[in-house]
Amino acid sequence: MTPNVIEGGAPSRGRASLTSFLKNVAPALPLLAIIGYFFLFPIGRLIYVSFMSNENTFTLDNFRTTMQEPYRSGFINSIKIGLFSAAIAALPGAIAAYFIESRGPVKLRRTISVMSGVLANTGGVPLAFMFYAALGIQGQLTKVLKFFGWDIYAGRFSLATFLGLLIVYLYFQLPLMVIVFSPAIVALRREWSEAARNLGASQLNYWIKIGIPLLFPSFIASFLLLFASGFSAYATANALTIGDIALTPLQIGGLLDGNVSAAQLNLGKALGVVMIVISAFAVIPYLAIQRRSARWQKQ
Amino acid sequence: MKRKLDLPLTITLSALALFVFIPMLSAFEFSIRTPAKGGYGWDQYLWAIREEEFFYYIIRSGWLAAVTVLITLIVLVPTMTWLHLSKSTIRPFVDGISLLPLVIPVVAFAVGAQISFPEFVQDTVLELPFLYFVLALPYAYRTLDIGLNSIPLKTLTEAARSAGANWWRTIITVIIPVIKSAVVGTVAITFALSLGEYTLTVLLHWDTFPTWVTFVAQENILGAIAISMMSLIIPFLVLTAVTLVSPERSTQGRK
Amino acid sequence: MSSKSLTLRNISKRFGNVNALNNFNLEVGVGELVALLGPSGCGKTTALRVVAGLEHQDTGSVLVGDRDISQTPAHKRNMGMVFQAYSLFPNLTVEENVAFGLQMRKVSKHVRLKKAHELLDLVGLDSQSKRFTHQLSGGQQQRVALARALAFEPEILLLDEPLSALDAQVRVNLREEIRRLQLSLGTTTLFVTHDQEEAMALSDRVGVMNNGVLEQIETPDTLYNKPATSFVASFVGTMNRIPAQLIDGHVQLFGKKIPVLRNGNESGNVVALVRPESIAIKSTESDANAKVLTRLFMGASSNIVCQTKDGTVIQSLMSSAESGDLHPGSAVKLEVTNREVLISNA
Repeated sequence: MTPNVIEGGAPSRGRASLTSFLKNVAPALPLLAIIGYFFLFPIGRLIYVSFMSNENTFTLDNFRTTMQEPYRSGFINSIKIGLFSAAIAALPGAIAAYFIESRGPVKLRRTISVMSGVLANTGGVPLAFMFYAALGIQGQLTKVLKFFGWDIYAGRFSLATFLGLLIVYLYFQLPLMVIVFSPAIVALRREWSEAARNLGASQLNYWIKIGIPLLFPSFIASFLLLFASGFSAYATANALTIGDIALTPLQIGGLLDGNVSAAQLNLGKALGVVMIVISAFAVIPYLAIQRRSARWQKQ
Repeated sequence: MKRKLDLPLTITLSALALFVFIPMLSAFEFSIRTPAKGGYGWDQYLWAIREEEFFYYIIRSGWLAAVTVLITLIVLVPTMTWLHLSKSTIRPFVDGISLLPLVIPVVAFAVGAQISFPEFVQDTVLELPFLYFVLALPYAYRTLDIGLNSIPLKTLTEAARSAGANWWRTIITVIIPVIKSAVVGTVAITFALSLGEYTLTVLLHWDTFPTWVTFVAQENILGAIAISMMSLIIPFLVLTAVTLVSPERSTQGRK
Repeated sequence: MSSKSLTLRNISKRFGNVNALNNFNLEVGVGELVALLGPSGCGKTTALRVVAGLEHQDTGSVLVGDRDISQTPAHKRNMGMVFQAYSLFPNLTVEENVAFGLQMRKVSKHVRLKKAHELLDLVGLDSQSKRFTHQLSGGQQQRVALARALAFEPEILLLDEPLSALDAQVRVNLREEIRRLQLSLGTTTLFVTHDQEEAMALSDRVGVMNNGVLEQIETPDTLYNKPATSFVASFVGTMNRIPAQLIDGHVQLFGKKIPVLRNGNESGNVVALVRPESIAIKSTESDANAKVLTRLFMGASSNIVCQTKDGTVIQSLMSSAESGDLHPGSAVKLEVTNREVLISNA
C-alpha cells in the first residue's frame, strides 16, 4: 500500500477516472473490507432473515409476533428502563461533570475520567455481585438501613425487580453521562463567562442566556445515548433477574440458546431488527446533535 | 483561585464516592470473608489464583484482546493517516461508517453474527478479534481522529518524505510517536473493551475470562466475587497509572 | 454616559508566589488612550483584569472618576472589554451579541437592536448582523467584539491584546479603526499589548511594564527619545549597545567625548545606548573605524549593519539615497550624533 498522496497533477479524463477512483478509495479498502464482512454483512443478513419464514419464503409473521405478548411487554419494559435510567442519571451526571471539569485540578480530572471509563463498562455478573453485597437481602447497606429503621425488603422490593434493575443500571449510566457530557463542559470557554460578566450579566444571567443554551443540545444528546445504553443492556439484566421480567435483550438471548420452538425460528432476528430501529431513533439524533455542537466546541 | 475549600466540588465528589464505593467495598468485604475459619482472609483470592483455569482464561482473553489491538493499529493508523492527508472524497463516508456500531445494540449484532460466519471460523482468532474490533471502532476511530487533527500532519509527512522515508517508515518513525497519547488511548480503550466484552461472547457460546467468571459463580460464589474484584480493580489501577504518568498536552490552546 | 478618568492606586496582586503586580499606580485621564506595553508575564494583563473586576487585587484601590469601585463586582462596573479572541457568544447572532450589554441593562428589544445596528454600522459589519460567530473571520469577530463593548456607552474601554491573534494586514487596519472610534466617542481607554509598534502608533501615552512594575509612562515621543531605564530603551524601538568606559561623567565613542545623560549607579565599564538614526556613517579610507557587513534596503531608508574593530555590531539608519555607495566590506567611519548619551551597566 503505497498511495501517492503528495503528488498533484490532474490526470486526463476517461481512463483516469478509474485510476483516480482507485487512488481515492484503495487505501481505505482493508478497513472497509473488515467493516463490510464482520459488521455490515451480519447486520444485512439479520435483516434479510428476519423477513424469512421457516420455509424460506418472504413473510412479515416474525414482526407480527414481536408486537404480541410477551415481546410487546419486553419492548415496553426495555424502553422504560432505558428512559428511566437515562432520566435519573442525566442531571446528576451533568452536574457532576460540570463541577469536576470546571473546578477540579488536572490530576483529579484525569483520574475521574479513567474511573468513569472503567465504571461505565462495568456490568453483568461483577456488577450484580457488588449490588448483592450492598443491597441484597444480606447486604451491608441493607443492614445499615435496617438499623436506621428502613427495611427495604419489607415490601416486594428485590434487586430482581424493575426498580432494583433501575438502581443497578445507574451504576454504569451515571459514569457514562459524565464521560459523554464532559466535552461540552470543557468546550465552554472562560472568555464567554468573563465577557458576559463584563457586559453586566450576573452568574445566573450568564447561565440562563449563554451557558445553558450552549449545553442543552449536548445534554439532550447525552440523554439519548444513555437511553440506548439502558435499552440495550443485556449482561446486567441477565445476571440479576431469573427471566421473570420481560426485557427484549433477555428474550433474544433466550431464543439464541437453541431451545426454540419451530414457530420461533427467525423470531429472534425480527426482535433484533426492531431493537436496531429503536436504538437508531436515539443514536442517530445523538450523532447529529454532536456534529452541530462541534461547530462551537472546536473553535 | 482561593485556598479555601470548594464546597460544591467537595459535595459532588463525596456523593459520587459514596455511590461508587459502597457497592465495591461491600463486595470486597464479602470476598475476604472466610466462613470456615470465621473472620477475614485472602482465601478466596488465593483459591482463584490457584485455579488452573484462572490463568488459562486470563491469557486467552488477553491474547484475543492483544490481537484486536493489533488489528486496530495496523488497519486504522495507516488508513486514517491517509484519509487525513489525501482529502479523499470518501472520508465523510468512512467517518460515518465508523460510528455505525454505536447504533446497533450488541445483542442484535450477536444474532446477526451467529448466522453469518462459517463454522470453521467461529471461536477462533479469525473471528472474535475482528468482532471486538468492530465494537471498539467508534471509540478507537474517534481517539485517533482527534490525535491526527491536533498535529501538523501534512508538514510532518512532507518533511519525512522529502528526507527519503517511504510510506511505512514515515508512519512508524514519525507519525506514531507524535500522536503517541492518542495511540495509547486507542490501545487502552480497545484492550479494555475486548477484555471485558461479555454480551457478544456469551450469546455466541464462546469462552473467555468474563464468561468463565459467570460459570465459576455457579459453584463458588465467594470465589467468583474475588475474581470479579480483581477484574475491576486491576484494569482501573493500570489505566490510572498509565494516565497519570503520561504527560497530556492540552488540546485547547489557552495562553 | 460620558467617560470618566481611571485610577489604579497601589495595586498589588500575587499568584501563588509570583508577584504579578507590585504597588502598581496608574492614572488615565478622561478620553485618553493609554497603552500598557511589556513582555509576557510583566503584569499588564493582570492590571487590566483587576480594573475589569475579573481578578481581585490583594491591596490597593481602583477608581473611576471619584468613585471607588474596588469592591464592586465585575458585572456592575460598567466597563466595556474586548478580549484577545473567542469572546463572542456562539449561540447568539452578531446583532444579539452586540445588544447583549444593553439587554442586561433591561433596554427594550427594539431600542437595543437599533443601537446594535448603529454600532455595527460604525465598524462596517451591519450586513453580517444575522450571522453567527463561526461564520465570521477573525478580524470581523474582533470588530463585533468592539461594537459589543461600546454598545452600552461604557465609561471605560478595556482592550486585552485585541489584535494579537490577527493577521498582519488585518491588524494594521483594525488598529486604525479602534483609534478612530475611540477618539470620536471620547471613551477613556486602557489598551494592553506586547507589540511596541502598535502601542506607539495608537496611544496618547504608553506605559512600559516589567515584572509587575511600571517603568515609565510617557507620550510615545518622549518614551522613544528619553527612555528612563535601559529596559525601556531596549524594548521600545531598536537600540545599539556600545561598550565604553564611563570616566568623569563622559564616555568616549568613536573618538568623541560625549557627556552621559544620567548618573545612576553606573560606573567603570558601561554600555552606551544609541539609536540607529543617531549613528552617522561616512565612507572613508583613511580614518575608518568600522566596516560594513550588510546593507538592508527598506525603501526610503536603509539599515546599514557594521562591525567595529573590537567586534561590536552597530546598526545605522540612513536615507537610501545617501547610503548608496556603501557595500559589504566598505571601510567607514562611524560617529555618534547625540549631544548626550544614555548609558547602562554592562
